[in-house]
Amino acid sequence: MLNQGKAVAMNTFRETVRDRIFYIVGIFGLILIGSSAVLSPLTIGAQGKIVADVGLSSMSLFGLLVVLLVGSSMLRKELEKRTLTTILTKPITRGQYLCGKFCGLTVTLLCMLLVMSLVFLVIMLVCRVTPHPRFLAAFYLTFLELTLINAAVVLFSTFVSPTLAAVFTLCLFVIGHLSESVMNFGLVMGSAWQAQISKIVYYLIPNLEVFNIRGAVVHGQPVAFSHLILATLYCLVYVLLFMLLASVIFARKELR
Amino acid sequence: MNQKVMTRNVAEAVLNPPEAPVMSGGDVLRVLNLVKTYRTGFWRKPQPALKGVSFLVPRGEVFALLGHNGAGKTTTMKCILNLVHPDAGEIEIFGTGHRRWQSRARIGYLPEAPYFYDHLTGRELLDFYARLFGMPRADRQQRITELLAQVNMADHADIRLGKYSKGMLQRIGLAQALLNRPELLILDEPMTGLDPLGRREVRDLLTVLKRGGTTILLSTHIVPDVEALADRVGILKQGLLHSIHDMSRGSAATYFEVTLGQMPHGAIADVVRGCRCLPAGSRHPGAIVQVPDLDRLARLLAWCSDLGAEVQAVHTPQTSLEEVFLEALGAGSGREANKSC
Repeated sequence: MLNQGKAVAMNTFRETVRDRIFYIVGIFGLILIGSSAVLSPLTIGAQGKIVADVGLSSMSLFGLLVVLLVGSSMLRKELEKRTLTTILTKPITRGQYLCGKFCGLTVTLLCMLLVMSLVFLVIMLVCRVTPHPRFLAAFYLTFLELTLINAAVVLFSTFVSPTLAAVFTLCLFVIGHLSESVMNFGLVMGSAWQAQISKIVYYLIPNLEVFNIRGAVVHGQPVAFSHLILATLYCLVYVLLFMLLASVIFARKELR
Repeated sequence: MNQKVMTRNVAEAVLNPPEAPVMSGGDVLRVLNLVKTYRTGFWRKPQPALKGVSFLVPRGEVFALLGHNGAGKTTTMKCILNLVHPDAGEIEIFGTGHRRWQSRARIGYLPEAPYFYDHLTGRELLDFYARLFGMPRADRQQRITELLAQVNMADHADIRLGKYSKGMLQRIGLAQALLNRPELLILDEPMTGLDPLGRREVRDLLTVLKRGGTTILLSTHIVPDVEALADRVGILKQGLLHSIHDMSRGSAATYFEVTLGQMPHGAIADVVRGCRCLPAGSRHPGAIVQVPDLDRLARLLAWCSDLGAEVQAVHTPQTSLEEVFLEALGAGSGREANKSC
């Protein structure tokens, strides 16, 4: 059972790595991380913070771009080129196939983040900023956030076009970062139904601020280990939910 | 009798009626009353693709689905492979429901005009598919080398598929369909894109597989391919299985042709239902009567004897599959004139 999913994941990884878009986005990401070294002298006394902030934000932003550009079209490309037809006539379930695609892109994201964090580390050393283990936590949570976004794009791409899947995912990303504000807004407004609706939105859409500890890391604030554990569980629950829903929708899809 | 009715009568006589598909232990595939309607466009306009297709494929048989474009061949295959969900009907593969993904470990499939990942080489592609079958590494390598040689692609195995020609893709497609040594091989237009030599090689390969006991379901609209390979042929027309034809009874089923010395007075059709009467030719005053079976032949001869009509010859001409196919499509059998006697 696992072998089939692994084969699809490996193939997706190979396909993404051989894709030009991946390199273009990756190179721009590296340039932006590198540019933090150029920008840092502009802020006297806060060079370290600028390097860290620009570096960590670039990783998140370019990771998101890869998910949107590669993830949203991943499934449609297979449907349109009819490569999927041959795969699904082999002993593999549609759910396994989707999980394989998801894992393949997740591994690609992980590799991309690793390369970016290596460059980030070099830039920090060049700018004489001492790397702190807290950066590892920020890196880990950025990866979790991208994994969740990746599951969302897989879900959307099972029933809408690549463009719409990318738009929906971007909306989810934006609302996900504002969900706490939405909840607070509902509570402040006072009426019971507004508070109820804001609560529903809060629980339905993942709160992506859970994964954002960049500010804390840059300003040298501590990050609790329990937060990392809870964020991991939070991510897992949403990923499972999204993938389950995607599998149910995809199982009903006709490959004409 | 109008031409349409007569054409149907001849077709009924020339072809065997479709069998009632009752699955036995030796059967690999059973398709019963398959119905599928596609819905397209904004208003979900219905487009019937299959209107109740039934057939049975016993173990070791080569069953061909013959039909023009849009007849429902590919839809039938996609329903069998669970790529398309039928609206009604039953499909059994190896005695179990076709939705069981485990049964696909025993099936090989070559789609029409196959597309594969451009970023992979031929060898990498076969390795990927072999992994989907859960084959161990050593087995994979051995089988891939074996198949690449079998489909004459060993020299191009390490070139990316994006650079392959249509024929090369077809060959590599055939190789991936054979990776798991399938018991049931489903081939959708397997000769498309191949040059004459390639077609012959594929035909030879399929003959070897047939001899080895592989059950093959293939779809095509190329009659000579069917004649060379198939044991039985199902002719699909507008989503309906028009007829099933047994190739072991000759290139096509036989009927009797009775040559009469002159045009008989009176309607033969009224006396012997299911006969077809044609003028013998511009220089011949007589007629040729096509009779579907012995019983009707006896009745016709008795009737001629009573009338005193001269019977010049009785013989059983062979009808080519192409004629049968064209007849089924309503394009005529080559004999131009039909006349009710």
